[in-house]
Amino acid sequence: MPPDRTAALSLRGMAKNFGSIVAVDAVDLDIPQGQICGLTGPNGSGKSTLFDCCTGLQKATAGRVFAGGTEVTGWEMHRIVREARVIRSFQKAVVLRAMTVEDNLVLAGQMVAFPGFLATFAIGRANRSGVRQLRERAGDVLDLVGLAHMRHADAGKISFGQQKLLQFATMLMADPRVILLDEPMAGVNPVLIERMIANINRANRDHGITFVVVEHNLDAMKALCHRLVVLSRGRIIADDTPDIVVRQPDVVEAYLAG
Amino acid sequence: MLIDVAVNGITAGSVYALVAVGMTIIFGVLRAINFAHGEYYMLGTFGAWWAIETVELPYLVSIPLAVAIVAVIALAIGMLVMRRLIDAPFQIGVVATLGVSLVLQNVVILIFGGSYKMFNGGWIEPVEILGAGVSEQRILIVIAALVIFGGIELVVRRTRFGKTMRAVAQNIEACKIMGVDVPRVVTGTFVLGCCLAALSGALTAPVTGSLYGGMGTAITVKTFAIIVMGGVGNVSGTLLAAWLLGLMESAVAGYLGLQFRDAVAFIALIGVLTVLPGGLFSRRERF
Amino acid sequence: MGTDRGLRAAGFAGMLAFLLAAPGFLGEYQVHALIVSLTFLLPALGLNLILGYAGMLSFAQMAFFGIGAYVSALMAMRWGTPFWLNLCAASLVAGIVAVPLGFPALRLRRYSFVMCTLGFAVIAQTLAKNWVSLTRGDLGLSNVPRPVLGLWSSGLEIRSVTQYYYLALALGVIAVLAFLALVSSPAGRYMIAIREDETLAASLGAPTWRYRMAAFVLSAMFAGCGGSFYVHYYTVISPTIFDPYYGNTLLVIVLGGGVGTLGGVVAGSFIFVALSEVLRVAPDIRMIAYGLLLIVVVFGCPEGLLPLLMRRLRTWRRADAT
Repeated sequence: MPPDRTAALSLRGMAKNFGSIVAVDAVDLDIPQGQICGLTGPNGSGKSTLFDCCTGLQKATAGRVFAGGTEVTGWEMHRIVREARVIRSFQKAVVLRAMTVEDNLVLAGQMVAFPGFLATFAIGRANRSGVRQLRERAGDVLDLVGLAHMRHADAGKISFGQQKLLQFATMLMADPRVILLDEPMAGVNPVLIERMIANINRANRDHGITFVVVEHNLDAMKALCHRLVVLSRGRIIADDTPDIVVRQPDVVEAYLAG
Repeated sequence: MLIDVAVNGITAGSVYALVAVGMTIIFGVLRAINFAHGEYYMLGTFGAWWAIETVELPYLVSIPLAVAIVAVIALAIGMLVMRRLIDAPFQIGVVATLGVSLVLQNVVILIFGGSYKMFNGGWIEPVEILGAGVSEQRILIVIAALVIFGGIELVVRRTRFGKTMRAVAQNIEACKIMGVDVPRVVTGTFVLGCCLAALSGALTAPVTGSLYGGMGTAITVKTFAIIVMGGVGNVSGTLLAAWLLGLMESAVAGYLGLQFRDAVAFIALIGVLTVLPGGLFSRRERF
Repeated sequence: MGTDRGLRAAGFAGMLAFLLAAPGFLGEYQVHALIVSLTFLLPALGLNLILGYAGMLSFAQMAFFGIGAYVSALMAMRWGTPFWLNLCAASLVAGIVAVPLGFPALRLRRYSFVMCTLGFAVIAQTLAKNWVSLTRGDLGLSNVPRPVLGLWSSGLEIRSVTQYYYLALALGVIAVLAFLALVSSPAGRYMIAIREDETLAASLGAPTWRYRMAAFVLSAMFAGCGGSFYVHYYTVISPTIFDPYYGNTLLVIVLGGGVGTLGGVVAGSFIFVALSEVLRVAPDIRMIAYGLLLIVVVFGCPEGLLPLLMRRLRTWRRADAT
């Protein structure tokens, strides 16, 4: 089946083996632009591996990945980020602790403001004006996300939930087309979860950003996602609206068994 | 010529093997490369030299004396410095052991002076083997190396200490939880490793002929090259890699010139690392 | 934060004023000590860049320093080229040599990288000792011409210690400004990110390998510059320049002074080099002191002495305010 080139993200035959262990087993998936797609499944079902293969963190054993019509199979992560604007978050390594909140955002926005390797060696006025614009933009994004009061705090000193919000904010700075969130609500208190859901919805509505969210928190998924895909043992076993999917017997069984 | 090269190579390789086993067991328990390792070799040489020149002991007695002196020094450094490297990030290990090497080297230079010294001792009378003259010392070195290797294997596999050492090397967290006195094992292993280096120094001294304070630096790097080539923690691999390096150096020294000898280890190291960059510090380590 | 920056700026201004006036009130040997520390400042800045900002512990700095020195010496001796050309050539050659060395080295991690860079210094020394037709081997090159400041072959010839000093100071200031520009640039920020968490930096679009190579090449260029000045000051160069003695001194400057900071490295250069020159400390005692210092610093205050001092000052000021 040919890939869907209008889709924000299109996977064909994605497979990843670790020796004899099959983590992802010939997955075909199309995620249309502007959708918020949830991805869930029991532990070990291949969700994170799927993410890793789409974003260049790991090389798939087989299969092809297309982002907005362009094939990105085998691309390095930074290239997928820069050229295809497919950006992912991490579960644990979340922010740059050595920098302030604002500097984290400035760094994330640099690839937009200073495109090209040599451009990043800008000094003097070119540097200062570019960075000033980034700082202004950072302020706007922080207001949006609800972290404005933490602007000059060290990123290592804010709470874990706030770090996750910060991580989300950095992804917005990079002018993304697709955002892949890896368990954005794990370890976060309910108030911040609400805020995260609001942020995702707003980014999706106002900027048309496509989201793929890996999560275990099914209530949040129901509230947030247009569509829920369930993986089990590397294969898709369900793909529909959240209400329908959570009631399917094989999904329930997969969760209990896995 | 070929016999010479072969004999020199096996001899040098045997010495390198002992030193390398020392470094590898230290790495096993501490996950740190001992940048001062060559200095303990140097101290072994100087200890034997001092025993012969100043205390006027026979060579045979100077060897254990040198090792004992180094054991005491290693114990002190093990308790003051090496213990703190448990679970420390690797850069701290590099800098700390580098600092130790600076101190050790220069204390020796301060006490004994920076000039080259001649080593008068050992059995350098040649014996005929396959039509070439081989000094008795070289034969002694090879035999001693094999004996000591066998001894180390015994210690590592049969004794309680050896088993504890392997346990710490495999899973230090589990050992801590089970009440193993990890700092003590680390210090003990460290002292053992340094004694091996010192013993090599004392054994080789008659063959190398001269000694000076800075002679340890080249040894450290060659040893690192050997454990990279042989596989960290892999004792038989280390032996093979050590002999290989010894032979290569000997061949280069014989056919190209002595001045190129020390660069061989580095080129070999860079060559190996270029081909397999990730393979060195993987979890697959065996004792 | 604001007062910190103010304090730092004041510190720099004060130090610069002192340095500008120094030959007026210091004796010739003391000025010489300052020249030596300025000479080491350049490769130390390079080491600071690669270690403190890009996070890689490299022992190759002195290899590039020596290469820069030999290039500069040979150019001056064979072609009579002016100083600025020798300086640029030394820096460029060092940078160019760093590229093929970086390819194998940057794939390595941790100990392997450290040892590989150490290997470069050893190989450089072996080359210097054996390529006798070029370097005259162990004898080294001597009677290297003094620097000529001019467009081509004529101009001001630097002769007196005071003249050398101001040349060294000018180079030092330029190097510091270049370093500052670099670490404040977006590229510098990427390097810091790569040091902290390489995967995270890549996920924010940073081509990490390219920046690590850039850091490696740029530090080599800093070192090459230093080597060029060195050889025109001492007018001799021999393979002993590749001895670990100098590399260890660099490490002490950077780690002891304040790795990852600018002021710390500058201060470190003056404290550890100038002071030990002025006190005429014997090299072996100096090395023992350096060794002990490294051990104490790495366990006690790994970020270096200057940041420690700044932190103490900050807590004192806060205590005063309460």
